[in-house]
Amino acid sequence: MTTKTQANRSIKARAKATPDRIQSDIKNIKAIVNQEIVDSDIHHVAETEDLSVADLPSGDISVPMNMWLDHKSELQARDGHVSVQIAADEFPDDLVSELSEINRIVLPMVTHVDGRSYSHAYKLRKQFEFKGEIRAIGDVKYDQLGFLTRTGCNAFELPESEDLEVALNAFTEMSDVYQPSTDDGRLIFSRRRTVH
Amino acid sequence: MYKYDGVDKAIVSDRVEQFRGQVQRHLAGKLSAADLAPLRLRNGLYMQIHAHMLRVSIPYGLLNSEQMRALAQVSRQYDKGYGHFTTRQNIQFNWPALADVPDILKDLSNVEMHAIQTSGNCIRNISSDHYAGVATDEIIDPRPYCEIIRQWSTLHPEFYWLPRKFKIAVTGATNDRAAVQFHDIGLEVVHNDTQEIGFRVYVGGGLGRTPVIGKVIKEFLPRADILSYCEAILRVYNLHGRRDNKYKARIKILVNAMGIDGFRDEVEAEWAHFKDGELKLHDDDFNTMQSFFPKPDYEELDAGDERVQQWRGLDSRFKAWFDNNTEAHIETGYRIVNISLKEHGVAPGDATDAQMDAIADIAEQYSFGEIRVTHEQNLVLADVRYKDLLEVWKALDAQRLATANIGSVNDMICCPGLDFCSLANASSISVAKQINEEFNDFDELYDIGEVKLKMSGCMNACGHHHVGHIGILGVDKKGEEWYQLTVGGDASNQAALGTHLGKAIAKDEVGGAVRNILEVYQANRSDDERLLDTFRRVGIEPFKEKVYAEDA
Repeated sequence: MTTKTQANRSIKARAKATPDRIQSDIKNIKAIVNQEIVDSDIHHVAETEDLSVADLPSGDISVPMNMWLDHKSELQARDGHVSVQIAADEFPDDLVSELSEINRIVLPMVTHVDGRSYSHAYKLRKQFEFKGEIRAIGDVKYDQLGFLTRTGCNAFELPESEDLEVALNAFTEMSDVYQPSTDDGRLIFSRRRTVH
Repeated sequence: MYKYDGVDKAIVSDRVEQFRGQVQRHLAGKLSAADLAPLRLRNGLYMQIHAHMLRVSIPYGLLNSEQMRALAQVSRQYDKGYGHFTTRQNIQFNWPALADVPDILKDLSNVEMHAIQTSGNCIRNISSDHYAGVATDEIIDPRPYCEIIRQWSTLHPEFYWLPRKFKIAVTGATNDRAAVQFHDIGLEVVHNDTQEIGFRVYVGGGLGRTPVIGKVIKEFLPRADILSYCEAILRVYNLHGRRDNKYKARIKILVNAMGIDGFRDEVEAEWAHFKDGELKLHDDDFNTMQSFFPKPDYEELDAGDERVQQWRGLDSRFKAWFDNNTEAHIETGYRIVNISLKEHGVAPGDATDAQMDAIADIAEQYSFGEIRVTHEQNLVLADVRYKDLLEVWKALDAQRLATANIGSVNDMICCPGLDFCSLANASSISVAKQINEEFNDFDELYDIGEVKLKMSGCMNACGHHHVGHIGILGVDKKGEEWYQLTVGGDASNQAALGTHLGKAIAKDEVGGAVRNILEVYQANRSDDERLLDTFRRVGIEPFKEKVYAEDA
């Protein structure tokens, strides 16, 4: 594990409520976890400039990284499970020293064409050896599930308009791969090496 | 050339069915046009002014006759009987119906072709030297390396939603014909002091709105590390490249903002985490890949041929074609033949279905059944016996594919422009025609010699105007089409961006302005200088004076 980046916990230095963060809270009643449709009851709290612990809803929640870094002990003292969000414009490196106390990372995607969360998931798994759940939420649909899975996400909350049963097909569409990521995929050339 | 194995076949075939599903969901109203757009783009399907446009991948420009016939068939069956070869060594069809595209891709998959990642903000087709394997100045054949990178980059799950498109080019020759310094990553295959093979790695080059010459990020990268190093560059770019403004989203902007040293530090730090991991390549991998690109079964031949020599003396058209369109080959008794797709009156890079079929036949009969696409939008028969040149010329000429203008001012690179493209500000094809008409005297063309004229219909620079010896950029001024000219651009080893000539020129005066530039060159050249050499010696002023003389 790297010790390169100590979390920058200066509140002033850490941006809040940027266009790359989810702009309002998200709560879905269903999720896909480990390729199965399950009930979900997590309230994902959007970041605002004046968000405080007192404002948080009860029950299971996910909070912006800033809030975790600033109010960890208060969050851990409340009832309900707390997960931590890493927005597209944040870096998992800033959470490295926290990962042992977190068992679910949430990657909120404002738009699915923003690919940063794929690298976040990859780094969490490969570089920081995070073993907990990585859950993508927001603008995450059928056609993103395959590659998000390969890079390390194992849970998804899709917009309500999406048909989850249909979306499960995403996990079996591609029967082979050319390159390693965080899954079992191996580099094609090393596989051929054993054949030839 | 590379042949698919079961893995390649499964991936391409699965991708066709995946795309079929995406199109079906869209047509059934279950996938919005907005959500389909980035998905279809990543499969080469654009929405243009009049219709969809499908861009099919031709990895590093290499085709066999069977594939060429399949392309001809697609143009006949699903399009309007022609295709357009592009500056990225691909082919585009301008009129396919959305509902037909899955079937087109299915047909193409039968001949080991696809449209994966030919557009969209992902890693695009790997481009390379169209004379790979046969050039007299080649040090190392780049094709095995291109294919290795192609496979690694195909459907790479982490780099499918980059800030912007990402282009990689590979060269292995003394003269860079792949413009590697104008790519997001440019790779020059080189030997180090101990004859180990590796790459000089350039990063952050590109054309478009902000033309930038690539910078060297690594002087020598051992070939075993090529994939891990590319992955490190891509990850840094994916995480840090700008996404707030698409015009500032290419890696060149990031490299300039961080400085090449800062960028390199970041890449090296990322690379250190996994450089000796599973992406490391073995010598076996290179040997296996190299075996797909063997030397063809060359015959032992004499240099030259008496009959061909005789015809050069007798037939001025054959002589002009021989002198302009064929080049020296590494093997005695063979020549490289360029097929000009720049016939007067035809959009540069276009070929009809009948021409494609004919080229497939000619390649089969005379050039080991292989064809290359050049980034200058021509085709190449790489291995023609010297003694067959007359027959090849006649066969090409019968298909109007022997216009003897390779390398001349009429052999221009040109984007589709306002006639087809929804981004364009001005037309390119009609200006190309105007220039063709201005220089219809071939003797004059030959006297002028090598001029790389490149034209784009908008700032996005698909026609590479920044690196044209003469560059032409179409701009929109209050609803009218105007053209900005540059002189002295160069995409080869001495990479340079063109110098602005002055204010934009009206559409009907572009041909005259090109003539003025070439007259200044003819008046000032010494010995066997090309336009580019004369420009480097005398500067922009004499050209400026002449072109804008009437305004003074």
